[in-house]
Amino acid sequence: MDFKKRLKAAVHYTVGCLCEEVASDKEVQLSRQTIAAISEVTFRQCESFAKDLEMFARHAKRSTINTEDVKLLARRSNSLLKYITEKSEEFNVERKTKKKKKLEDENKDSLEPAEAGGVGSEN
Amino acid sequence: MADGDISDNEPTTRTLLRRVLDTEAPRTPRRRQSTRAGVQRTPLGTPFSMRLRSQTKTTAGRQPHRARSIGRLAHIQTRGQLKEQTPRTLLENILLTAPESSMVMPESAVKPVPAPQVVQVVQFSRRESSPGSLELQLPELNAPTTLAPGRLTSGRRKKRLRLSEFQQGMDQELPLSQGPVTEPPGNTGASSLSSSLNLTFATPLLPQSVQRPGLARRPPTRRAVDVGIFLQDLQDTSVATAFPGDRTPVATLPTDTVLEDTQPFSQPLIGRSPSVHHSLPYPSLSAERTVSRRTRSSGPGLQNNSPGKPAQLLAGKAEEVDALAMRFPNTSSGTSGVDGLEPLLGGVGEEVEERMEESMSLSEVKEATGAQASARAEEPEAHTEVAEAEGSWGAIEEKELEGSSGDKDTEGRTARPELASSTPEFPRARQLEFLEPAPPTSTAVGLFRQQVIPAPSLSSEPLEPLSARLPTRLQTAGPRLRQDPYKMGLSHYAKLFSFYAKMPMEKKALEMVEKCLDKYFQRLCDDLDVFAAHAGRKTVRLEDLELLMRRQGLVTDRVSLHVLVEQHLPLEYRQLLIPCAFSGNTVFPAQ
Repeated sequence: MDFKKRLKAAVHYTVGCLCEEVASDKEVQLSRQTIAAISEVTFRQCESFAKDLEMFARHAKRSTINTEDVKLLARRSNSLLKYITEKSEEFNVERKTKKKKKLEDENKDSLEPAEAGGVGSEN
Repeated sequence: MADGDISDNEPTTRTLLRRVLDTEAPRTPRRRQSTRAGVQRTPLGTPFSMRLRSQTKTTAGRQPHRARSIGRLAHIQTRGQLKEQTPRTLLENILLTAPESSMVMPESAVKPVPAPQVVQVVQFSRRESSPGSLELQLPELNAPTTLAPGRLTSGRRKKRLRLSEFQQGMDQELPLSQGPVTEPPGNTGASSLSSSLNLTFATPLLPQSVQRPGLARRPPTRRAVDVGIFLQDLQDTSVATAFPGDRTPVATLPTDTVLEDTQPFSQPLIGRSPSVHHSLPYPSLSAERTVSRRTRSSGPGLQNNSPGKPAQLLAGKAEEVDALAMRFPNTSSGTSGVDGLEPLLGGVGEEVEERMEESMSLSEVKEATGAQASARAEEPEAHTEVAEAEGSWGAIEEKELEGSSGDKDTEGRTARPELASSTPEFPRARQLEFLEPAPPTSTAVGLFRQQVIPAPSLSSEPLEPLSARLPTRLQTAGPRLRQDPYKMGLSHYAKLFSFYAKMPMEKKALEMVEKCLDKYFQRLCDDLDVFAAHAGRKTVRLEDLELLMRRQGLVTDRVSLHVLVEQHLPLEYRQLLIPCAFSGNTVFPAQ
């Protein structure tokens, strides 16, 4: 239970920071109750998200939460879904290039162990 | 004489009978203690005692001692049949069966007492001839209480038995048979007992026919009932329950409701009652639809089925009638497993059933070049029923319609049963909200809901073809098809909504409700589709639905799907989802 409180406090702090940013950006004032309400809602929503993600993962007969699960979660909001999909694609591309590089490195390693080691250390 | 004795503080025929019993030399064991002594009508003999018995029945209250009366009645019947019918036994029977409560209408009770006994003698001789006390008591079952003595019998009878042509036939018979006999003796007596014992007898026709020994035993009038007239009559009955036994069928009512489905009510909003009745026509309309569909599919004429229907329909509400009516076409046509399984499957499905029927009817309609007019009427109605069910079904139905081809219909049919079977709890929770308060008789509704849903029977195949088609269907949607039946379904839901609102609603409000329902159902089906795809499947399954319900909050960590199924589904559906002791049993003798 202590964890929960601390977690809540952390969320509240983060929400407060974000709200301040937005407030200064839009030049509006946000009262403390508003921030508290937002943080409470965020916390509960995170709980719900977590449960949903776990459900989705279990539904797909996996034990790990995947990006697919996250996308499924975010499908309601179109913009959010788009954003997440783009990010995930970026991430995938990044991973792919990384993998490719790694493969090449490994190939070089097999052929030229010394150079591969050097290349590997570079990477 | 009798009048003088009636001047007591409890001037009922019961007291009179008691006096008779007291004064009479007891030949049989008496059950009731007589309160007063007095020789009243002993010399009159059997006819008089029988009349008194009817009077006492009238005077007695109905509800409180009904159970006792029923129990005693059984005993009395046996006793009556065993011994000769002496005045004493008859009076005892009266006292045993009739509760002690004071009379509803003392005047009327008093009135018949001094009524011409001569006439009674003559009339009761008729009754005497009828075998056993059972028949003697039963004819009075239908005698009314509340109306004037002159019209007691016919009015009550009509009020209760007006729901089918069969019953109307009985109504016509009853006044003939019972009018001269029951009215003079005391309709109040007959009616009270009738009301108290009404529940025990399911076949009031029998005594009536027996009651007229002079005439041959008339079989129940089974005319070739046109389903349209039949259902019109149902609606007429439900809508005009206050009207005295008037049999004018509202010829256009069902068709109006079907064809002009976009209007909230075919009749102006008069408050709750029309909406109540309006909700009733749907079962009847669906019955009509089902029936006509079966006619198409199975081939046998509706006329063949409909006479069977009235036979089954007894004093009951419209839903009951519908239920039975739908059952009979099912059992009689019995062309497919659909029909066979239908009687097994209960409840939830009136929507599912309609849905299945719609799919089938739609397929048939689309395929067949000569779509019958009833089919036309059915389509929109069918789709109202379609939308009735949960959104998933509705959306899939709609997509099904859009596809509109014979094979697809078959697939849709299979798909729907899968959905239907897999989502019984889903609609059930809603349906309970929708339908529980609506029907005047919960039992009737239960009957109606048990009509059967062809869904599981059609197939337990996975919904693969349907799910696979769903995305394509959306693009290939025939807009007209989507609009018409789909909107009909939504409008039906909107009407339900307005009914439960208990206050008149604007048309715009109803349209908004329709819009929201549309979006809701769309989303529901999309979610199911996505969930299935998420699991790498092309078929929507139970797990997908459970996930959906979990997201909706219907299924929680505390309340599992199992619990919901047990809570809301009738046994027929429950046994499909949850193996229970009942499932897989066969009942002997087969009924």
